[in-house]
Amino acid sequence: MLIEKDMKLADVLHHDHNLIPVISRFGIKLGFGENTIEEICAAQQLDSDFLLTILNTFHDPLFFADRHLKSFPVGLLISYLKETHKNYLNERLPYIALLINRLTETSSDHKTAYQLLMNFFVEYKKELTKHIEREEKVVYPYVLQLEVAIASGTTSDALLQQVNTYSITDYEEEHENVEEKLFDLKNIILKYLPPTTDQNLCFTILHELFILEKDLNEHARIEDTILVPKVEEMERIINKRA
Amino acid sequence: MAKTIKIVLIEQAFLLAAGIESLVSELHGVFVEQVYHGSEHSLTDKVLGHKPDMIIINPHAIENQLLSVIKTFQQEPDIKLVGLLSTKAPDNIKSRFAYYLNRDEGKFDLLEGLKKIIGNDLEKPAKKTRILSNREIELLKQVCLGHTNQEIADKLFLSVHTVMTHRKNITKKLGIKTVSGLTVYALMNNLVDIREVENRG
Repeated sequence: MLIEKDMKLADVLHHDHNLIPVISRFGIKLGFGENTIEEICAAQQLDSDFLLTILNTFHDPLFFADRHLKSFPVGLLISYLKETHKNYLNERLPYIALLINRLTETSSDHKTAYQLLMNFFVEYKKELTKHIEREEKVVYPYVLQLEVAIASGTTSDALLQQVNTYSITDYEEEHENVEEKLFDLKNIILKYLPPTTDQNLCFTILHELFILEKDLNEHARIEDTILVPKVEEMERIINKRA
Repeated sequence: MAKTIKIVLIEQAFLLAAGIESLVSELHGVFVEQVYHGSEHSLTDKVLGHKPDMIIINPHAIENQLLSVIKTFQQEPDIKLVGLLSTKAPDNIKSRFAYYLNRDEGKFDLLEGLKKIIGNDLEKPAKKTRILSNREIELLKQVCLGHTNQEIADKLFLSVHTVMTHRKNITKKLGIKTVSGLTVYALMNNLVDIREVENRG
């Protein structure tokens, strides 16, 4: 389904509930009644074209986000990506940690096994956090500098050197190891966890992990299909100018 | 036997191509890697470049080049050539293909047809793959203790290549890719002692 401005947001979310975290990252609160996407954006001073592009990209892997690229500044995209990161670090991951911790506390048997699971999750969390910090401290500032340089028409030597040594294409490859750990985590719980008295808790943990994985994949896809091409274009412009 | 079946589809109409992709996605391990419209320059090279297990062709997509295209593909004995035909397709077209799918059939008839064409080519998940051999367990322990492939090879009198093959098999059997994941597995199953792991370098 192609999501459009004049659709009621409630209808869109009925159709694809995976979009709920997306609207929360835009700061849209529940209780939006019969309002359409356009009306909600106008009331909250959000860029409705940008919200639509993100919603559609998230909703349908075949949506051609690049066609809509030029309509919004890269800063907008980056602030969205940062909101997503905040959501992972401050809400998702701590919540899963809480659930796994509950597992270690409530079961009388196999305490060591659950503790091991917890340690593994902590390790995963650390790695994902490191990856996110790198994006926010290195990648995003670089991208924003590119945008400033293009808007102002002047490129500093330092930036030019950075364009030549670091290219955004390198960045696509950096996602992998973090993904493998999440894959392992799911399999350990699905296949090898010793029986627990609280099966429901395990189901909830698994469910959360699957949601997290899907969300991370969409996040990576937004970076790869919207951010990376846009930055590549800026890199080309700057290189041509030099 | 192949682990997966890779299909290249030659179909001009988006609707039909999308339909075939949706149908194929119902079968585990079978996927459409690429769709060509049929009018591409050096089509046969492009198609064969994917090293497909199966090529599905709608004759309408390539019209008058059909004969030469089919002839080229027939020189690859390992590739199954499937025509996507309507019930009304003339016999002289049907007979050009080793296999064909009748596009006028319903979903489950089409799936049955596709399964028959695939036959035994698809590797079924082997039974009891979960169980590691003694050698693999020995190797897994070494991995969990933090040893490198070279160190493990020296210790167990194996070549590095063999160590790597074992590691690949362990990952395949357990569905665990990372060293820390493997360590959790080994600890949960008492294959290694937690103190040994904590003492690793």
